[in-house]
Parts: sequence; structure tokens; C-alpha cells
Amino acid sequence: MIVGKQKPLPEIREMIADYGNILILGCGTCATVCFAGGEREVDILASSLGIAAKLEGKERVTTKHTVKRQCEWEFLDEIEEKVKQADAVLSLGCGVGVQAIAERFPEIPVLPGLDTLFMGMPVEEGVWVERCVGCGNCILNQTGGICPIARCPKGLINGPCGGYRDGKCEVDPTRDCAWVLIYERLKKMGRLDMLHTSQPLKDYSKMGHPRSITR
Amino acid sequence: MMPSVSTMQGEAQPPCQVTCPIHQDVRGYIVAVARGEFSEASKLIMETNPLPSVCGMICAHPCETKCRRGQVDEPLSIMALKRFVVEHADHGSPKLQGESEQGQKVAIIGSGPSGLTAAHDLAKMGHKVTVFEHENAPGGALRSGIPKYRLPREVLQRDLEAIIALGVEIKTNTELGKDLTIGGLKNQGYRAILISTGLPLSRGLRVPGIELDGVLLALPFLREVNLDRQKIQVGKRVIVIGGGNVAIDVARSALRLGAGRVHMVCLEAREEMPSFPWEIEAALEEGVQIYCSKGPKSILGKDGQVTGLECMRCTAVFDAEGRFNPSFDKGEVSVIDGDMVIIAIGQASDLSFLKDSAIKLNEGGQLLLDADTLATSEEGIFASGEVATGPGSAVEAMANGRKAALSIARYLTGRPLAVAPPAEIELGELSPQIIDKIKRLPKQQMPALAVPERVQNFVQVELGYDRASAVREARRCLSCGLGTEYIEEECSTCLTCVRICPYGVPIITASGSVDIRVDQCQACGICVNECPAKAVILKQYQDEEVIERITTAIANASRSGVRPLTVVFWCSFSAYATGDFAEFVRTKCPSNIGILTIPCVTKIGIIHLLKAFELGADKVFVVGCPEEYCPYKESTSWARRKVDRAKKILDDVGLGAERLEMFNLPNVDIEQEEVLFKITQPAKQTQPDPLNG
Ligand SMILES: Cc1cc2nc3c(=O)[nH]c(=O)nc-3n(C[C@H](O)[C@H](O)[C@H](O)COP(=O)(O)OP(=O)(O)OC[C@H]3O[C@@H](n4cnc5c(N)ncnc54)[C@H](O)[C@@H]3O)c2cc1C
Ligand code: SF4
Ligand code: SF4
Repeated sequence: MIVGKQKPLPEIREMIADYGNILILGCGTCATVCFAGGEREVDILASSLGIAAKLEGKERVTTKHTVKRQCEWEFLDEIEEKVKQADAVLSLGCGVGVQAIAERFPEIPVLPGLDTLFMGMPVEEGVWVERCVGCGNCILNQTGGICPIARCPKGLINGPCGGYRDGKCEVDPTRDCAWVLIYERLKKMGRLDMLHTSQPLKDYSKMGHPRSITR
Repeated sequence: MMPSVSTMQGEAQPPCQVTCPIHQDVRGYIVAVARGEFSEASKLIMETNPLPSVCGMICAHPCETKCRRGQVDEPLSIMALKRFVVEHADHGSPKLQGESEQGQKVAIIGSGPSGLTAAHDLAKMGHKVTVFEHENAPGGALRSGIPKYRLPREVLQRDLEAIIALGVEIKTNTELGKDLTIGGLKNQGYRAILISTGLPLSRGLRVPGIELDGVLLALPFLREVNLDRQKIQVGKRVIVIGGGNVAIDVARSALRLGAGRVHMVCLEAREEMPSFPWEIEAALEEGVQIYCSKGPKSILGKDGQVTGLECMRCTAVFDAEGRFNPSFDKGEVSVIDGDMVIIAIGQASDLSFLKDSAIKLNEGGQLLLDADTLATSEEGIFASGEVATGPGSAVEAMANGRKAALSIARYLTGRPLAVAPPAEIELGELSPQIIDKIKRLPKQQMPALAVPERVQNFVQVELGYDRASAVREARRCLSCGLGTEYIEEECSTCLTCVRICPYGVPIITASGSVDIRVDQCQACGICVNECPAKAVILKQYQDEEVIERITTAIANASRSGVRPLTVVFWCSFSAYATGDFAEFVRTKCPSNIGILTIPCVTKIGIIHLLKAFELGADKVFVVGCPEEYCPYKESTSWARRKVDRAKKILDDVGLGAERLEMFNLPNVDIEQEEVLFKITQPAKQTQPDPLNG
């Protein structure tokens, strides 16, 4: 899933400063699951902005709505009327959602309420970690199911570097070295032999933007 | 006050309510007691119970046997809580539906629990009810059978007065068969007649010596004692034959009348005794000696006066088919000496008043009744209570009286008598994994008179809960079935609830969706305010109501014009509900402080805290109970998380985090002033909220 984080409130306040009537739009899929922009966060943000506006002595109207997924135009049809009433849409969806809204409603400003961060998963309640960068050229079969591009800060495909200490990464010693993890996993699988051949240079052109696929 | 939490139609009901013969909303009134809302509790009790004071003291309380807390540690003391409510709540006057157009004259024979319930119900429907009672005072076995140390007569009187206030007329010293006849009643214009004459006769024994002086029957004995007809002289060494509740009442009464020694003899083994176990305990505590598995062979005497009882060993009470058919070992004989024998081996009906009537009897010589409608063979004549069902408990007789009242009401308005009873769905049992995780909370002990003080007189033995113990006992209720409601269409299957529920209630189903099992939910509310999709709501505490209550609290607190305007979210259980404290808050709390009770701080949402500020609060407090006293798990840490996030937001919007504070009471019995000091002091230093100019 896509993981994002709500922007700091001061930044959001600055972004909306020029608009009096705002539609705060939540997303019911990834943004809900990572607690960045579901129906509850929409409520909290609306209330927070309401307090802020009063403090600034501003007149501000906020409307709340949450769609199933912001990244599908069909799901956006239901907000058409609300969009017409608003001066701007403050999206609590990921960057894809923001753009989908912008494309569906070309005449209205769409403001990103989140910083979209990564593709990842929760490892414990409230903690999400990055697992995949979408390189377009997956090598997990050769790295013990652990992605060195997403999980090694240097993205080494033939690691580890010389800097790891006691299994930890030199860039961030609180984190496990991805290559040590790969080694341990391959050992468990009895496939350390896979480390004997080095990976060919990676074709990063597959990561070139913008990408698309056609069914 | 929070809205009532009565069961919604069509939902699975908690076992206490299903088991209660009159289906009291047990959970509803217990939850109200836990919140300190005693009048609300009283209202819920009175809705379905015409004899609440009586039931609070002598009910057989089958509900407790089925209480799901019993699967965890010990069942709730439901009866004791009812007594507490009756003794401590403002009741208001009974609701009269007024005389209805179709009000008709109904005669009820017998003023026991069954007749009284029918009278109550029919009067409420607008019928004109007259109860005819043979004895000199109403109440049936409640008055003539149950001793005063279990049911003080002013308690019975309280319930009777409420029934009379509905317009029910009770004519005492009037016996059907002697002062009245069925035909005569019809001629007087009574359109329906209910026979609820109970089982007024005591069964005797066919053994040698039965004619001796000093041999008595239980019911006449109890009647003499209870109706104060004459001062009864008991022997020095009394022997009571029987093992049921009546026998125990006889034994304990005899002790109180001055019998130096009381022995009970019964056919059953100790664990088979038909009496309530708590009654047996009380009798043993008071010094009654019980001889089990013994049957009477003969009553011994000298000069026409009882000297003892010859017993033989009872080897089995029931035969292979499970019928009452005791067998004895005649070789094993023992003698208990004594100067009085009281026989308490069962009660029987007295239908002699039917002599000249056409009402049919069945093969057993009892009234022939339609089991569904309680109609007799003669039109317009019905029967209910023990005369219809055989021996049972007061609340069963009440339920049966209610059933008869419904049939009578239908009869009087020309509708078909029989209707199918509503289908009841009972909540399932708790699963063992969940039971393991529920906090154990000890049952509050019922204070009672010490034994030496009891056996001298007929003063009530059980003293009743005080506010603190009642609230604590009520907090033990698991609010079965009253927890969360899960809205599947809203769910984003984020699995947060699955991960955070301290009891493991939400599970992932085979189809990959989430199921928050309503029959297992403990109603703590943690998942409700964590679910990012707002797919879980609490049946008893929803956002809209909370916000409405915040609005009211703020409106009340701002009326004084005094600042800072303070809102306190206060856990409604424990210290708040235990009484004096709530009173203190009500009467001495500064007028700028609005108090909002919540059923545990776990139920606070960030949005509630922000709303308070949005609506103009200068300062907000969250006050929780001591963690070890909270029936839920992890309550403080989850509440603290919300408070911390709200504080951060307050900083971010420029209002300041210090406007929001949370604390747990250091302990339940903390000095009241000290608690209030914490709320009033820091608030004084707070600048008025610029929002509220
Ligand atoms: C000693 C004793 C202790 C008990 N303890 C408990 C207990 O702790 N808890 C519990 O739940 N149950 C208890 N019970 C059982 C409970 O009291 C009965 O189940 C209940 O009272 C039955 O109600 P009823 O209305 O059918 O009859 P009753 O209560 O017997 O009332 C019948 C009434 O009809 C009157 N009557 C009879 N014949 C006539 C007539 N011809 N004309 C006019 N009036 C007439 C009687 O005088 C009596 O007042 C006890 C019973 C006894 C005897
Ligand atoms: S725990 Fe409460 S709701 Fe559940 S059965 Fe017991 S009294 Fe009823
Ligand atoms: S927390 Fe809410 S959205 Fe997430 S699985 Fe549970 S019910 Fe569904």
C-alpha cells in the first residue's frame, strides 16, 4: 500500500490561507489505512482548522467528505456538487489522488494535505516501513526476498558496503543493514551460493518517468 | 444524563434479561447504577417490575445464575443492586395511562405476586381492577409466608401503595367461596375474573404420631408468626421436616422465636436440597442443624406430647424415571429428640370455592387451563400464579400474572386470546480466550447483621449496599452485547482494531473482512476512537450525543459569565458515581466549570476534545479513575495518546497545549477538595480562550 503522512498543520494553514471555502476530502483506501487521511482525520483536521480560523479572526467554511478512493475518477463523481461550492479542495489522499482530482475538476485548485512517502507495510500498530521503490525490474528472487534498493540507503545491489557494524547500517545505526538481512535469510534458505555471483548492473531506465502500462 | 441503554428491538439480549421471567432490562439498570444515574436505573426497573422493592430482597434471581461475569469470576449481585436502586433513587410517581374508553371491570382473586402483577398491568391499560383477598392484608405468600427478617413489611407496603396508586382496589378479609362466588362476581358486572389463589394449604404426613400435641404444619405456623395473630410459643428443641425454602424459613423463624435448638431433617442429600443455597448457608450460620438423606418414620411422643422424631435413611429421592418416589433403608433408623415438629414438605391448592361452578379440573384435580392463554374452561375466567403452575418463585408467579393480564386484555377487547410470544435471541457464551483476558474484579460483599444480633429478633439480616459498593458492583457488569456496532461498508480493513483490542474480539473472517464479535465485545471503546474509517461505533456513546452534551456543558458553564470557561470530561464510574462526590461537584462546583461524564476515558476521541475548544472552552480536563480500579485494560494509555495528539494540535493552531490536561485520580477515596483543587486552581491561571472573546 501507499504510505503518506499528513503535512504539519502550520504548512496546511499557509496553503489554505487564501481560500475561504474549503472541501476537505479524505480517501477511504491507503490514506485511511495509514492514518493520514481517512474519515476520522478529516474530522480532526476540519476541527483544527476551524479553531485556527477563529483565532485568526477569519471566516472560513469547511466541508467534509471522504470517497472510497481518490485515485479513480468514477469515485470522484459524487463530490461534483461540493466541489462547485468550494474555493479549493484540500486532499488527504496521496499524490495520485490529488492529481486525479485536479484532472477530474480542472477549474478548482487542489491542495495536497499529505506528503506521500512510500510503498510499504505496517510492522507493528502505528509503524509503517518502506519495502519497495517500484524499480520496474524486480530482483527479489535473488536477494532472499529482501529488497536492497528500498532497504539499503545506498541502494547497493551487490552489498554490503564496508561500513556496516554489528549488523547495523552505517548511514543509520538504528536500522538493520539490508545486506546482512539478505545474508541471514539466504543462509536460512541454504542458498548462500546465490551470493557467489554478483548482480549485473541494474537497468534503471525501467524507473524512468512517467511510466504506464496498458492491459 | 446519558440516554438510556435499553435493549434495542431485534438484538440479541444478555442472558440476565432472557432468563429473568419478567425480562427486566438488567443490563440497562446496572449500567445506569455504574454511572451513578440511579433515577434512570429506577425508571428501567419499574418499567417491567410492579414489585421492585420485593424483588430487590427475596427474588430467586435466576438472572445471576446465567450472568456472564460468572464465567470470569463471580456473577453480578443483580438482586442486591435492584434493592440499592429502590432504596436510593427518586422514583417519581407511577405512570398512569388514565382510564381508557374501553376500561372494563376485572376481579382478581388473591393478592399474591401473580394477582398483583395482573392487577398492575390491567390497571395501567385502563381497566378497573378489584382484588379480593382472603387474609386481612394483601401480599399473598410475600406477607403470610416470607419472614420479616428477609422482607420487612414496609418494603412490601411500598410496592403495594404504588399499585394502589394506579387505581387498583384491594378488598381484604374477603374469601371466594365464602364471601363471594364466581356467579355473584359476574352478576356484579365483572367482565373477567382471574383466579390467583396460590397454594395456601400445607401438605401433611401420613406417619404414626401425627396427631400428637406439638406437631404443626408450616404454612399455618408461618401465617401465625407473620400476621402477628398471636404470640406463638415454640418448643425448646424444634424439628423441621423438609428441605425447601419454606422449611428453612420455618427453621430460622423458630430460632428467632426462642427455640434453643433447631434441627432440620430432609430426604435430599445436601447438594440436592431444593432450597436456595444462600438460604441454607444463612440457616447454618445461625446454628440450624441439617440432617440430610433422612425420612420420617414416626413421630415419638409421651402423654400426648411430642418427644422426638424417628427417621430412616433415604437412599434415593427420585426413581429411575426421575419421579419423586423416595426409597428408604428401613434398617437404618435414628432418633432426633425434640418437643415440637413442624412439617414443611410442600404446598397444595385449595379449590373448594369451585364446588358449585362449571369450571373443569384436570385428572390431577387441578384447574384445566389453556397453557398459552391461561384461560379456564369457562369463558372470561382465567388463572395464574402457583394455583396454575404449581410451586415456584415469586417472579415466576409475576410473569404468569402478566401473561394472564395480556390474555384478559385481549379477551376484554374482543381480540383472539393467543399471540405468539416474541422470539428471543440470547447472546452466546464468552469464548475462553476472551475470558482469560478480562480483568478479575471481586464481588462486593453484602453487609449483614452479625449472627448473635440476628437470632434474637425479626430485623432484616441483609443491610444493603451503600453507594460506593453498589457502583463498584455495577461496574463489574460486562455490558454484554452493548459494546460496539461494526459498519462493514465503512471498514477499510486496516486491521487496527484487530491489532489493538486488548481482548482479541475483532477477528479476520474467512472472506477477508473483519468481524467485531458483538457477543464477545467488552464495550471498552478503544477501537472506536482509533478506527480511521469511523467504521466502529459504540451503541451507548456516539459522537453526535457527545458533542451535544459538550455544547450543553459549555452553555451551562458560560451562563455565569465567569472565566475561565472550563470543561471536565470525567469518568462517570467510580469516584464520580460513588455519590457524595457527585453531590459535591453538583453543589459546590464553581459555576464556570461544566462537567461531562463519560463511561471511561477510553471513550474520548480527539474530536471531542477539539470540539470543546471550538465551542469556546478556555480549559479542558480529562479525569480518569485509578488504573487498577478501571474494569477495562489499557484505558489510561489510550486516553493519554489522544490527549497528547490534541495538545500538539492546540500548539499548532496557536491556542497552547497547556489548556488541556489529563490526570488519573490517585485513588478512589481521595479527598474531594483535593480533586477539585486540581481542576479549579490551574484553570484560574488560564487566559480566557481568545475564541470566546
Ligand atoms: C414461606 C415461603 C417462602 C418463600 N420464599 C420465597 C423467596 O424467597 N423467593 C421467591 O421468589 N419465592 C418465595 N416463595 C414463593 C413465592 O412466595 C410464591 O411463588 C408466590 O407468592 C406465589 O404467588 P401467587 O400469587 O401465585 O400466590 P400467593 O402468593 O400464595 O397468593 C395467593 C393469595 O390468594 C389468597 N387466597 C387464596 N384463596 C383465596 C380465596 N378463596 N379467596 C380469596 N383469596 C384467596 C391467599 O390468601 C393469598 O394471599 C416462598 C413461599 C413461601 C410459602
Ligand atoms: S455481566 Fe451484566 S449484562 Fe452480562 S449477564 Fe451479567 S448482569 Fe447481564
Ligand atoms: S479499525 Fe476500523 S477500518 Fe480498520 S479494520 Fe477495524 S473496523 Fe475496519
